[in-house]
Amino acid sequence: MLTEKRNWGWHILLILIILAIMLPVVFMISNSFKTLQESYHSILQLIPSQPTLGNYLTLNKQINLLRMVANTFLMAMIVTLGKVGTGLLAAYAFQNFHFKGKRLIYFIFVATIFVPFTTVMIPNYLLIAKMNLLNNVIGVALPQMCDATGIMLFIKAMEKIPSSLTESAKVDGIPSRRIFMNIIIPLLKPSIISVGAIFFINSWNEYVWPTLVLKDKSSFTLPLALQNYISSEGGTNFPLAMALAVIMIVPPLLIYMVFQKYILNSISSSGLK
Amino acid sequence: MENTGFPIELDDMSKSYNKKTNVIDKMDLSVVPGEFLVLLGPSGCGKSTTLRIIAGLEAPTGGKLLIAGQDATKMTSLQRSIAMVFQDYALYPNMTVYQNLEYALRVHKVPKQIRQQRLSSILASLNLTNYKDRYPSQLSGGQKQRVALGRGMAKKSRIFLLDEPLSNIDVQLREKARDEIQKLHEQNGQTIIYVTHDQQEAMALGDRIAVINDGKIQMIDTPENLYHNPANLFVAQFVGTPQINVFKVTYFNHQLLDISGAVVANLAPYQTTDLQEDTDYLVGIRPENVSLSEDPTGADFPAEVESVVDYGRYKQLTLKVFDRLEIKSVVTSWDAGVDQTVYAKLSRKELLLFDAQNHERIEANQNSKYELE
Amino acid sequence: MLNNNSQIEKAVNSRSGPRVSRKPRGRLLPFLYLLPSALLLLVFMIVPIGYTFYLSFFNWNLIAPTKQFVGLANYVNVFTDPTNQKVILNTLVYIVLLVILNFIIPYFISLIVNFFIGKMKGPYKILFFIPSLFSLVVGAMLFSWILNPVSGPLALFLRDFGMKVPQWTNSGAMAIVVICLITNWKVFGYNFILLLTGLGAVPRNILDAAALDGIPKLRVIWNIVLPLNKGVAIYVFILTIVQGLQYVFTPINVITQGGPYYGSSNLLYHTYLNAFVLYKTGNASALATVTFVIFLILLFIEIKFVEGRKRDAD
Repeated sequence: MLTEKRNWGWHILLILIILAIMLPVVFMISNSFKTLQESYHSILQLIPSQPTLGNYLTLNKQINLLRMVANTFLMAMIVTLGKVGTGLLAAYAFQNFHFKGKRLIYFIFVATIFVPFTTVMIPNYLLIAKMNLLNNVIGVALPQMCDATGIMLFIKAMEKIPSSLTESAKVDGIPSRRIFMNIIIPLLKPSIISVGAIFFINSWNEYVWPTLVLKDKSSFTLPLALQNYISSEGGTNFPLAMALAVIMIVPPLLIYMVFQKYILNSISSSGLK
Repeated sequence: MENTGFPIELDDMSKSYNKKTNVIDKMDLSVVPGEFLVLLGPSGCGKSTTLRIIAGLEAPTGGKLLIAGQDATKMTSLQRSIAMVFQDYALYPNMTVYQNLEYALRVHKVPKQIRQQRLSSILASLNLTNYKDRYPSQLSGGQKQRVALGRGMAKKSRIFLLDEPLSNIDVQLREKARDEIQKLHEQNGQTIIYVTHDQQEAMALGDRIAVINDGKIQMIDTPENLYHNPANLFVAQFVGTPQINVFKVTYFNHQLLDISGAVVANLAPYQTTDLQEDTDYLVGIRPENVSLSEDPTGADFPAEVESVVDYGRYKQLTLKVFDRLEIKSVVTSWDAGVDQTVYAKLSRKELLLFDAQNHERIEANQNSKYELE
Repeated sequence: MLNNNSQIEKAVNSRSGPRVSRKPRGRLLPFLYLLPSALLLLVFMIVPIGYTFYLSFFNWNLIAPTKQFVGLANYVNVFTDPTNQKVILNTLVYIVLLVILNFIIPYFISLIVNFFIGKMKGPYKILFFIPSLFSLVVGAMLFSWILNPVSGPLALFLRDFGMKVPQWTNSGAMAIVVICLITNWKVFGYNFILLLTGLGAVPRNILDAAALDGIPKLRVIWNIVLPLNKGVAIYVFILTIVQGLQYVFTPINVITQGGPYYGSSNLLYHTYLNAFVLYKTGNASALATVTFVIFLILLFIEIKFVEGRKRDAD
């Protein structure tokens, strides 16, 4: 009773859950290499009888795939760099300085996490329109370049740096700018990588705000393009949509494969205050 | 109400986490009912693991563990009748002091009246009555330690395990806490196993002390024997502050010689039957057994005073001998100054000899000491 | 002696002296580091909240040069208009479903993984998390494929048993369930990891102490683990609602557009519909403000427990 035993019943349940969430993705990849006929008739055949790149070629003919990938990448990159940059600076301000109104300012920052996007979308849309940034990925990225979640995660990472390190630098008369660049940033590398990876993946997948800003097909990001392939009235060409979806999931999967440990650590720490 | 403690028996017990190296290596240990046994050793020596296995928190990978004569691996925690105090106290943070003490009794359906009676006397005896409605986070280290002790007492178990219970409280409070634990043992007669790395604590508390290193019991005996008759060099060095002085010597013609050729001690008039000619040994001598004099007559070797630390009750001198070794001496009175040359004499009665290879103690054949024939 | 002390005091004072009356640049330094994020949050968060609140008192169509002041009419409309009422009710249904699917079930699973399966937590964490990497548009596409009543795999599978997949897009209730399942697919692993981390943070020694006291495992979980993990649980609970209501927006827009007859719409989607499809900016702004207030209340609940957690930790 005191030592934990393995319980295969629970393992079976857990494996079933994994199958339930992963099988659709596996079949999505498989179907993207099937013809429309085959996908319809032998729907659960995992390995296509005649694997074909036809869907990918068709996609490339119908839409400017390369340009959409570039759009999505550019937008996600700007958002990520913005969030990481502003987040690091703000986290350093909160973590390393004492100033008047710090608690209030921090509270307001954190509270912005709870603001529903619908509450800000109308004014932001009007502003971006006024700035002539509709149909431009910069218009998507600009309002999202600061995220209080990142500030919180970076503060948590900075708390782990022994304060004696920065204090001894301060005693040596090193200016805060140098302490930030030469001590904090290098030590924060793992957390910068993981938070950056999370931001990039989230932005890469983003849908709601881009649908408002990007109306012109040439400015579309991948999620918007995929949405165009899904018809609510039925008659969706699923192999084609799945091929596009496969293109969409590859970058996040690669990032996850490389930085899995960092990413999960950051997410774990976000829950613990 | 009087409890009698259970006996505990470790028989060839081993524990390994990786199936290669044993954290605990074929340990034999028998604890008699009502005994206060201290497990003493440096960190990582396996003493806490031993305790956790006895508690049933971990399973041994080899050998047997018997509690009250029965195979403990088949016993529930209730049958083992064990209470344990953890190093960080492990108080339930979401329960008040009173609820912490009461929780196990409530779960096991001890009637409320009995609970209240028992707990109020425990709280009173530990001076916790005024704190009973506080949460652990509102208590000082010493108070938490007493709550942990009280939680163990509330169970009225036959065995009480304590894992470094005093290491997280202020030095000034430790002595008082020690007395409390001793009082508790005298009143309840439980078998107590107490883990510590602090040899002074061990000496003060234990009926017997088991010195553990590298997963093995090096020696198990009374505090007095541990100090005066250590079984090997490790025990001699681990017990006692300042540490025992150790010289490497060669035995030659009834004399112990330093590498430089100087005589460390002449054993001519003494019983030395089990020492072999021209063989290396290690000599151990505790600092208080190095007596100093300004007069060379009868002394073993000259020494140069390097530093003197005055502790009030005694003075501790660091001496340089044979131009290269440093030894310590503890004396009660001393007026000579630094850099002075003095003459040291090693008390033959307390001289300890160890095998240079396996560090085992070499006991003189009969009277166990190098006494006059 | 005394003299010495006062000298030391002087030295200390003179050292801390210039620190207090530092150059103003030094005192402004932290604000310099805060400037980029503060500016962005001000322009794209704080000011828009105010402007949305301002717009909620007007009738406007997003384009016309003039706005008509209508007082509280838009707010009255939020609570009296039958469509709005339906949408608010739907929002409540969404909240209940999201809490069950995205909070209670992951919590249950994380308890199992932490306490009932021995080792092997790692692989489950890694695998459960994978769908969190994917866009909800992908999720929406996959579910509309699997649940396609004519050609989907589930329909083909059920056909062998003489059963059918209902036309779930024709029923608001069924559509809501499917939409919540899509977000469940995405956030299950994420919430699972947050909750599992919280459970893992319960000190090992406390669990050992309870085991030694002979407390049955389920009671240990109920009496000790769940109360100790309350902070993390509340955080995930609030996150489930706040994030979940925004997450369902995507599958709603991709699959049902809020239909049939607003049957699968919620407060957030209805706000979007009013603003950018029906061009009733005032209505949309009032809905957005109401949503904001609801989220603020949730924020205060969160803070209460976060602060409580901090006090416990001290």
